Amino acid sequence: MKITGKRPSREKCAESGWFATDYLMDAPIDREFILKLKSLGGFVYLDMLKQPFFKIENNYYMIKGIEGNDYFRIAVHGKHEDELAKLEAFILNCVKE
Amino acid sequence: MVYLNNAATSWPKPSCVNEAVQACLMDTPASQFRGGSAILKKDVEVLCREAMGELLGIAESERIFFTSGATESLNTVLCGLDYGKAGNSILVTQTEHNSVLRPLMNQSALKEHPVKIISCTAIGAVTEELLEQALEEERQDGRQAAALVVNHCSNVTGYVQDMDMISRFAKKNNLCLIVDVSQSAGCIPVYADQWKADAVIFTGHKSLMGMQGSGGFYIREGILLKPLKYGGTGRNSKQLTYEDEDYEYEVGTQNLPGITALLAGVNFVRETGVDMIHKKEMALMEKLYEALEKIPGIQVYGNSKECRGPVMSLNFKGLTASDAAYILESGYGITVRAGLHCSPLIHEAMGTQKNGTIRISISYFTKEKDIQEFLTAAEQIAGSVAGR
Repeated sequence: MKITGKRPSREKCAESGWFATDYLMDAPIDREFILKLKSLGGFVYLDMLKQPFFKIENNYYMIKGIEGNDYFRIAVHGKHEDELAKLEAFILNCVKE
Repeated sequence: MVYLNNAATSWPKPSCVNEAVQACLMDTPASQFRGGSAILKKDVEVLCREAMGELLGIAESERIFFTSGATESLNTVLCGLDYGKAGNSILVTQTEHNSVLRPLMNQSALKEHPVKIISCTAIGAVTEELLEQALEEERQDGRQAAALVVNHCSNVTGYVQDMDMISRFAKKNNLCLIVDVSQSAGCIPVYADQWKADAVIFTGHKSLMGMQGSGGFYIREGILLKPLKYGGTGRNSKQLTYEDEDYEYEVGTQNLPGITALLAGVNFVRETGVDMIHKKEMALMEKLYEALEKIPGIQVYGNSKECRGPVMSLNFKGLTASDAAYILESGYGITVRAGLHCSPLIHEAMGTQKNGTIRISISYFTKEKDIQEFLTAAEQIAGSVAGR
């Protein structure tokens, strides 16, 4: 699985103070990928849904997406934009494995 | 795809709107007072003013002016009105949109006039007691209130204010009454003259079925309003200053496709009938309220008896509004809106100031199956959060 692109999220209003980016993948997100991200923070996984929702959140950022979709979102709090590069590196490492 | 974000922008539009815009763009450009249109045809602007006047209950339709939307209208009206001596205050309800709050709190033209927020109930109702209380507090602080701004229908809860009561209150206390009908025009009856409104603000792209970038305001004859913008109007070009305060408010080339769309949309609303539109929308809203009340894990802010607009707010317990909206959009293809909906103060009354709400808003074109799809998704999401 590879990240093929990223674009700023259109959703500006819901999470005020957060800067969100949508990441595009070359394949649908699977459970394995989601579970690799679990260690990054508080983990929510609504796997009873037809398309399970996941969210990982800590003080600096949140990652959320839907299993089966080929995109997910990372939102970084305005004060911690530098965290994004580290997070991207972690995710790139995850998808390479 | 299910679209339940009509309080932001209505979609789809009636086919007559699409056709009117296309015809406008195909035709030779006409510009108000500047020639170019067929001699015997009435200007689209005039026709639209007349149609808007009939819809909003405004006899002086020539006092309706077009703008790019409610935000420009509110900036024009709020910054241009004469509030009397420095220190006179402006009363504003807690339900107002940022298009009211931000001009009042940031425009330097208004720095001499403090803003007094009138509290509302948890569903957005502004009662006579709350109005009287706010006025009394102003008196005790030695301030005279000069104007009252009221959002007719809340864009968060769908609560429709008792305009007869508010109108009586405004006139009794000699307040300039400014009514924002952005959410109500086209789906809830508006009686501007009956309410003795001094100014009425509307936008074109919601229930009036027009395009984004269209809207306007009405200002009663005799109310002095200084324009926000100056420029060419196509009339009396030698006149460079307005010594007699005979101001003009539509400057520059007007948004003719937008006004054309608005005219077609307003005509659609008038032909269909506001009462019919309201009845159809309320039948769907009642179904929504009734079904959502039965789903454990969902909190609805309001009820169908008191909230009579085509908008409602809710939250899933254990899920932020933002996450729930994300699941609805990305997992079910259902578009709603999450957050504070640009009306931050009402959330303090609702207790939702931290994460806001999910807003569901319908239009005349929303189908029962759209509502059913949303309810099915809502039940699954609530069940999934409860079972995690």
